[in-house]
Amino acid sequence: MKNFISGRFFQIALRLIVGGLFLYASLGKLFNQEAFARAIYNYKFLPDAFINILAIVLPYVEFFSAVFLIFGIFRKGSSFLIGVMLIVFIIALSRAYALGLDISCGCFSLETVSEKSDILSRIIQDILLLAGCALIYFNPGRKKDFSENNITKENQ
Amino acid sequence: MKKTIKEVIIILVISIVAGFTANALSPKGIGLVGDYSERFAIDSASSKTGDKPAQKQRTKEGFIKPVNITVEDAKKFYDEGMLFIDGRDAAEYSQGHIKGAINIPYKEFMALTPEQKAERMKDIPKDRKIVSYCGGGDCEISIDNAYEFARIGYEDVGIYLGGLLEWKAKGYPTN
Repeated sequence: MKNFISGRFFQIALRLIVGGLFLYASLGKLFNQEAFARAIYNYKFLPDAFINILAIVLPYVEFFSAVFLIFGIFRKGSSFLIGVMLIVFIIALSRAYALGLDISCGCFSLETVSEKSDILSRIIQDILLLAGCALIYFNPGRKKDFSENNITKENQ
Repeated sequence: MKKTIKEVIIILVISIVAGFTANALSPKGIGLVGDYSERFAIDSASSKTGDKPAQKQRTKEGFIKPVNITVEDAKKFYDEGMLFIDGRDAAEYSQGHIKGAINIPYKEFMALTPEQKAERMKDIPKDRKIVSYCGGGDCEISIDNAYEFARIGYEDVGIYLGGLLEWKAKGYPTN
């Protein structure tokens, strides 16, 4: 199992899925700051003062993390950042779900999250992505690096 | 972990630079701090004078800005025969709404082109006073819908933020 998880193809497939989804999700937001700020506002999750800054920066964090993850550059950093974003998304979505933010009146202008069932399936999707992210970050196969480092240190 | 932190910082720096650059260049770019408080502020002009329409303000886009109204104003306008528009889904509308209100579900309305929107509301004269409302509480489509109406040329649009929830609590007429 460990060999399978750290296997080259499995890791590449994981990176393509997680990175690909994040890349896809970021594209629509890169040049539509206004709509994205409104979407964040509707979550009622953040103080108003932080909404615009997040709307300006977050799509680019998603974009670059995704691109780096796909190409295997800064693998640790990009999978870590995507993991953190997923945890925040899961909390924000769960909160919106629990508060029933959209149920009474369809408050979300974001078309992608408009039904209660949509929010639930997004939470599940994000949890699966987070699991994928963890497998990339904690890739057991890459522990070799550490042991190699240790050996070289010992030799010195 | 050190490696992770270093990489995270690099990615964040690149993203921040790219994000702010794109925002400066994008036609849909925004200011660093948005003013969201205004969305829920009751317009004093309308709530103080009551019988006089609030001073008409134009938005940057050029249309006349809808005004937020209190429950007292809403009731007053209701008694005067102002048109109430419920922005919730048809199913929610059919379960109960302010008496005499018509239903224009925001979700469907927002997806229309400006021409289709005008067509949908062709029976309502542009100078007719309108009050937009929804469920109340966390409900925001009353605001979104009101701006859609104003955008296609309605000049006297009120937003009743208290919505059906407050209306019912006051014991005002519903059906």
